[in-house]
Parts: sequence; C-alpha cells; structure tokens
Amino acid sequence: MSESLSSEAPQASLWKDAFRTMRRRPDVILAALILLFVATMAVFPTLFTDKDPTRCIGRDARQRPDTWFRGEHPLGTDGFGCDFAATIVHGTRPTIALAVTVIVFSILIGLTLGILSGYYGGWVDAIISRALDVFIVIPLMMGAILLLSLFRGRGSSGGLLETVGPPALALTLFGWMEFCRYTRAVSIETKNLDYVTAARCLGAKDRRIMFRHVLPNAVVPVTAVVPTTLGSIIVAESALAVLGVGVQPPATSWGVLLAKGTEWAGGGYIYLFGLPLVLLILTVFAFATIGDALRDALDPKLR
Amino acid sequence: MAQTLRVVGDTLPGADMNAPLLEVEDLQVEFAVRGSRIPAVRGATFAVEQGQTLAIVGESGSGKSVTSQAVMGILDSPPGHITGGEVRLHGVDLLQQDAETRRTVRANHIGMVFQDALSALNPLWSVGFQIGELFRMHRGTSRKDAKLKAIELLDLVGIPDAKNRVGQYPHQFSGGMRQRVMIAMALALDPEVLIADEPTTALDVTVQAQIMRLLRQIQEDRDMGLILITHDLGVVADVADEVAVMYAGRIMEQAGIHQIFERPANPYTKALLKAIPRVDTLGQELEVISGLPPNPGALPGGCSFHPRCWAAEDKCSIEDPPYETVATGHRSRCHFAEEVYRDER
Amino acid sequence: MGRYVIRRLLQGLLTLFITLFLLHYLMALSVQIRGNPALLFFGGERTPDPAMLAQVERLYGLDDACYDRTGDPCLAPFVERMQNYARGDFGTTLTGNQDVGELLAIWIPNTLRLFIFATITLVTLSMILGTWAARHHGRFVDHSVRGTTILIDSVPVFLVLLAYVYIIAVPLTNWARGIWGDESFMGQLFRPSYSADYPWVTIIIPGIIVGTVGLATLTRLVRASQLENLGSDYVRTAKAKGLKRMRITVVHVVRNSMIPIVTGVGYTFAYMLSGAVLTEGVMGIPGMGRMIFQAVQRQETNLVIVGLTASAVVVITVTMIVDLLYAALDPRIRYE
Repeated sequence: MSESLSSEAPQASLWKDAFRTMRRRPDVILAALILLFVATMAVFPTLFTDKDPTRCIGRDARQRPDTWFRGEHPLGTDGFGCDFAATIVHGTRPTIALAVTVIVFSILIGLTLGILSGYYGGWVDAIISRALDVFIVIPLMMGAILLLSLFRGRGSSGGLLETVGPPALALTLFGWMEFCRYTRAVSIETKNLDYVTAARCLGAKDRRIMFRHVLPNAVVPVTAVVPTTLGSIIVAESALAVLGVGVQPPATSWGVLLAKGTEWAGGGYIYLFGLPLVLLILTVFAFATIGDALRDALDPKLR
Repeated sequence: MAQTLRVVGDTLPGADMNAPLLEVEDLQVEFAVRGSRIPAVRGATFAVEQGQTLAIVGESGSGKSVTSQAVMGILDSPPGHITGGEVRLHGVDLLQQDAETRRTVRANHIGMVFQDALSALNPLWSVGFQIGELFRMHRGTSRKDAKLKAIELLDLVGIPDAKNRVGQYPHQFSGGMRQRVMIAMALALDPEVLIADEPTTALDVTVQAQIMRLLRQIQEDRDMGLILITHDLGVVADVADEVAVMYAGRIMEQAGIHQIFERPANPYTKALLKAIPRVDTLGQELEVISGLPPNPGALPGGCSFHPRCWAAEDKCSIEDPPYETVATGHRSRCHFAEEVYRDER
Repeated sequence: MGRYVIRRLLQGLLTLFITLFLLHYLMALSVQIRGNPALLFFGGERTPDPAMLAQVERLYGLDDACYDRTGDPCLAPFVERMQNYARGDFGTTLTGNQDVGELLAIWIPNTLRLFIFATITLVTLSMILGTWAARHHGRFVDHSVRGTTILIDSVPVFLVLLAYVYIIAVPLTNWARGIWGDESFMGQLFRPSYSADYPWVTIIIPGIIVGTVGLATLTRLVRASQLENLGSDYVRTAKAKGLKRMRITVVHVVRNSMIPIVTGVGYTFAYMLSGAVLTEGVMGIPGMGRMIFQAVQRQETNLVIVGLTASAVVVITVTMIVDLLYAALDPRIRYE
C-alpha cells in the first residue's frame, strides 16, 4: 500500500544514515568493542576462564594478582580462595541478564501504555497519565529499595531467575515511565498526521493504525534512550547490591562483587574492589557513549 | 538631502553622499560543507539608487537570499564565507569595515524584512519590546519613549489599535499583521536601504498584495532604496524599477522592469515569464521549465542553465557565456543574448 | 493564568493522594505477607505476651483486623492516617519512641541544604559547559566536553563518595587545617563526615558530588537548546537589528534556552533524591534519604510512609514550580 510506504521509506533511510554516521566515530567503535567483550563474557564465560567460581580453596585465599593474567589465578583469589577472574566472568551474566530483562519489560510496558493513552486519549489517557505522575514522584532507587526491603525473600539459592528476579521486578516497576512518556507524546503527534487520518478514512482499524503507523514513529525516540538507560540500570543494580537489597549472595553480580569489595579494599586488597569497578565504569561509559551518539544520529537537528 | 537629518553618530565614516547608494560588485560567497567548498554566489553585481526598487528574482537555491545576507553582514560563518567582491554603501566598502562598524550599519543604514515573521520574531518578547529595543540599543532612548516610538511605527505600518497591541506577543498577531510588525522593525531607525527577503511568500494572496502596497508606499514616502528578493516574477511587476534574474549563484540578466517583461535577452528569463499565469493567456496551459535547478556542489560545465535550456547548443556546455550589454542598462549572460533579445531564438 | 495555577495545584494534590494511598497499600501488603513489625518492639523475641503485643499494636495503629487479611487495602487505617497528618501528627518511631514530626524538622533542612548545593553545582556546571560546547560546535572543545561529562556520569555517585571519604578527605583535611587552622572554613570543608556544628560548610562537598548526577544529560540539553537558538530565525533578526553580541546572547538566546533547561532540572530533582539516600548514608548526614533507608531496613512502616510522603511533596512541588516557571518564561503558554 502506498500509504505505508510513505511512512516507512524515510524511516529506513533514517536508520541507515544513523548507522553510517555512528560507524565513522572512533569513540562509538571503541564503545561497541567494549560492549561486545562484555556480551561475550556474559554468553560464553568459559571462553575466558576454565575455573569454577564456586570451587574455593581456603588456603589459596587472598592471593594478589602479582602475575597479572598469567599463572594459576590470573586475577588472584578473593577472601575465600575462589578464583577472582572466574568470579568476575561468571558475575557478568546475571548483571547483563538483569539489565536486559529490565529494559525489555520496561519498553513493553512503556510502549503499550504510551500508545494506548496517546491514541485513545480521554479517560484511558487520564488514568495512565496519573499513574505516570505517581511513579515519577517516587524515584527509581527509592521505589526499588522500598519494594525489595518490604518483600525481601529468604535469600536466593542460585538459579538465574531467582537471583535476578526481585531486583529486576523492582527496577522495571519504577523504570517504564520514560518510555511511556516518549511513546505517549509521539502517539498524540502521529495520530493527527495526514497519512494516519487518510488511513482511518480508508477504514483501517485502530489496531492496524497503532501497529503500522504509530509504533514505527515511537521506535525512534525510544531506541535513542535505550543504551543510556541500560547503563543506568547497571549502576542501579550495583547501588542496590551495595545497600544489601539487590542480588543476594551467594549469587554474584558486579554489584555483589563491589559490595564485597568495599570491605576488602580498606585492608589493602584494592583489586577486589577496583577490577569490578573498572569493568562497571567501562561498560556504563560505553553504553552512554553509544546512547549519546545514537541520539545525535537519530535527531539530525541537534548535531 | 535626507541624510543630513540623520543622527550624526550614525553616518558612515568616509561616506560620499554623491556616490551611488548601494553597489554590489562581483560578490562571491562559498559554503564550506564537509571539507569541500560549494559556491553559492558567483560574482553578483548590481546597484540600488535612492528611491529605486531592485527586484532580485530566482528559484530557491539560486543564491538570492545568501546574497542579501552577505550584503547585510549576517551570513552564518561558518559555513558561509565571502570570498571576493565589494559591497559599497555611499562608496564605502562594507566588507573592509570592522565588525563594530558593520554592526552599526545594520538597522541604521540597511534594514531587513524576513520571509517568515513568526519564526523571525522572538516568541518570548512583546512586539513593542522588540521594536523598542532598536531605539534603546542604538539611540539610548528610555524604555518609555521606546515604547511610544514603537506605537508610532505600528501605527505607520497600518496596525489598528497600536496602543494596545504593542504589548502583545508575536503569536497573537495574524500572518499579515506579523509581517507588518517586521516591516515596522526594519524601518525603525530610518535606514536608506531596505532589503525584503521574500516578504510575502508565507502569506495569503490578498494579504500579499496589501503588504506589497505598503512596502511600495513606504519606499516612496521615505525615498529609500528597496531590494526585493522573490521567486515570483509576477509579484514584482508593478513594484520594481529594475530586475536582476539569478540562477545558480549568478545574475543571468539585469534590466529595467519593462525591458525584462517585454524584451528579455536570456532564455532563462523567457522561460520564467512563460511560467507566470496571465490574463491574456487564459485557458492555455502554462509552460514549465523542465528539470531541476542544479546542485551547487556539482554545477554543470559551461553555462549552468544549459541542461534545461531550450536554446542550448554544444558551445553552451563548454564555454561560460560572458555577461554582455545588449542595450543601454540591459545586460544578459548568454551566448545568444543578441538573438534572444531580437526574438530570433 | 490563575485557572492554570489552580488546575495544576489540584492535579498535584491528586497525585500526592494517589501516591500516599499506593505507599500505604504496599506497606499493608508487606505487613500482611511478612508478619507484624510490632514484634520488633520486643527485640526479635518471637512469642511475646499476647496482651502486651495487642497493646503495642494499638500503639502503632497496627491492631486493625485488616492487617491479617492478605490483599485487603486497609482503608480504615488509611483514613485515620490522613486525619492524623492533617492535624500535624506524624506518629512516633518504633525504636526509641521519638516524635516523627520533631525528627522531620531536623532531617528536612539537612536534605534541602544538600539539594541547594547540588542544584547550584549542576546548573552552573551544565550551563557553562553546555554554552561552551555550543560555541565550539563540532570542534575539539565540543567533543571533549561531551566525553568528559559522559565519563563523570558513568561513575556511580556512591562510588565517588566512597573514594572521597576513604581516600581523599583525610589528607585534604589535614592539609587544609595545617594552613588555615581547625576551626576555619577550609578546615571544615573537606571533612569526610557531616558535623552538626557546621551544618552548612560540611554539606558543601557532598552537595557538589550529588550535583554531578545527570551532568551529561543537562549539559547536552543546554548545548542542544543553545545551538537551536543560535541558528534560529529570530537570532538572525537580532543580528540584522545590529544588536551587540552580548545583548543577543543574554536577551535572545539565554532566555529562550531556559525553558528546556528548567524542565531538565525539574526532572533531575527526582534522581537527586535517589542520590541523597546513598550520599547521606556514606557521609553520615542525618537527612531524609538516610532516614528512609534505615526505616525500610528496620521495617518502621510509619516512618517509611512519612519519609516517602515528604519526598513526594518535594518532587510534586518542584514539578509544579517548573510548570509555573515554564508559563512565566513562555508567553505562548499563558494564553492557551
């Protein structure tokens, strides 16, 4: 149909242009490499270490990584004699899994509510907007702390879902608003555009208009904030862990490592704090850099 | 002479009141885009005398707005650069002046009206403030007196109930009224030259006529030089004295209004004229100029117009045509100017 | 304008009311699912005397039967709570039996002081950096401002604070005291922890650190809006009016750029509250953030609700001020 062509052709070139601009920036390439490294660690931890992070030998405890990247323990061992490289590598998956889960569900909730409220207006919009107001009033961290403390379980026993589940749920519940706001604004704008009116005159159903016309327009602003948000979720996870309400030991995540690391750092074992910290900062920085470049690329006006 | 009435501090140092009012000679403007330099104006030459109206006509992208911004000294730089030529006001080359002198020339000697008054006026300040600002900044007038002056000007450009409307914001005015505010602002310091860049393009046809009438009337009353920039030859017919036709950064033809309409000496002008709807050709199909204006980054060799020209020959794609005089006060840039002028082509 | 203010005010009150109810409901659910926090009164002893337990429950308003039915919204205690708030009665703490209203009078000013310094830091830094980047658009300065602010934003605040407290603060304090003396401004400024004797000075550094939260976002906003304004038609008009560069910047660029910036600061405020929880914890500032976190951990139902209510009031007020400022800055809004 020509009407759908007219709305999608410019989108395709927008993405292509954005990709081309991003590819030329050295900082973006560096950030992408960092993220690729982290993602590989999360998916194939055995590529990086052959040790089992749960096999700890007490007499090997607190070996400083004097040999750096070589020998029996490339990054030394932690307070209980576990191989630290293995601990970090295996702590990556829960961290990344949590961030991805939170972002996927936040986007789903945000997009759905945003489109519904923007497209239908009226009382649907009134209710959703009020919910938006209320959730914005309670800041992400506060809300997450509140939920996690109120409904704290009896400690998790290992499974990825059980480890990541509670903090992911809490962060999602207080993290969907930004996506909803953007989508709502785009929906209000789009539903009055000429080609949408034309589609409606041609008898297109509400659902078709929402999926074919409104949704593609919402994808751009939503995508633009995804990388930055991923970064802030990773930070939030670590903050929750340091406060003792996030992912619960004995499970690991970067946040748990940082929380444990703060205890050891004062005693001269700075690497136990420093290494996960560097990894976390690099990852967040990479996400933020890509997010910044992506926003620029998708909004040529601001370049 | 009118100039003697003007405030002493605002007269241009070294100005020769007997020299022509505003002369532009061989003006060259380039834009630096992604490492390459793209020519926007390639040697524009024209002049305006007191009490005279010069219309610069051309399609969008022909360099007419860039020319006016270069004359005014408000070209965005980067990316724009004036790479050659002279802009002389009363014999003084403005391009050689320092930034401070150029600043005082603006509004004091040359006023400017822009196309889209809604975006050209600051939405956050009242129109009275924006007009009064000129008096306050250039003349040191008090806030109160500046407001009175603003009311006076609004009255002059035909805004009813000026006393109350002076405190209103641009979005509260209709399109035509906003354009009148723009004109009032450009006239505030009584400049000798007024440049109007597409002043009526964004307006309804009926309002267009009113604004054109207002501009002409003010120009006659104040004996100003008026440069009217437009893409619409039809608009200039009963306002302009002199017409310069621009294409791809060059002036293709320049002559008195009657010469242009009755005996054009350039195929491009001829094509433009044929594209104007006229009463005597009612019912006939309008002719269009085939093709698109050239990309300034990749201009065709020879005469820039040759790919679209009905009179083009091999020569046109190789040799750049000279800018030749076909009659007194009538110049054209075409290898066959004489023949076109005599209507033999 | 008047009607706009009233509508906005009512909207804010409604939001506050819904927030209060939501908090109350979460608390009720928690009590229903996890058991009665009044047990804490007996120091974790699992089987206190039933008569005494009932008395304590009554004391803390947890005696309503609804707390035994999972899912019950507990409307009656909610209404009671609202009535108490209206009278200015915020209850007492479970541990120590202190009056919450009196504690709030100490905590709120501390947190507000923290916010004042944080806001000043954030706005000043982002305005300067954003304007600077916009002036040098596309050049080295622009890229380095951007890279630096993103890097600063990527380091979690609480880690900066930990690094400051454990590594930098002590030597810096010793150095400053060696030069200016113990009691001087500089001698107190770099202290690693808050001191009630110097309620302003010792809160400056944590305030500055909290102020770096959202720096990249706001700088980006300032830069974008200035770029947009610098290239706008009305700035071109202002140039054509022969105005001086300074005048154009102040009158025609800055005011127009203020609108998105004010909105940005408003939204950042909610994030600053999150920062306050960790900052106040690490620096030992007795403020709302630390109080909320401790209350959550000790399961002081009432204290958590009061604390989050206060934070909600702050956020709602700030958003409202932002909206009103918006109207004051942009005449197009006043008449709509």
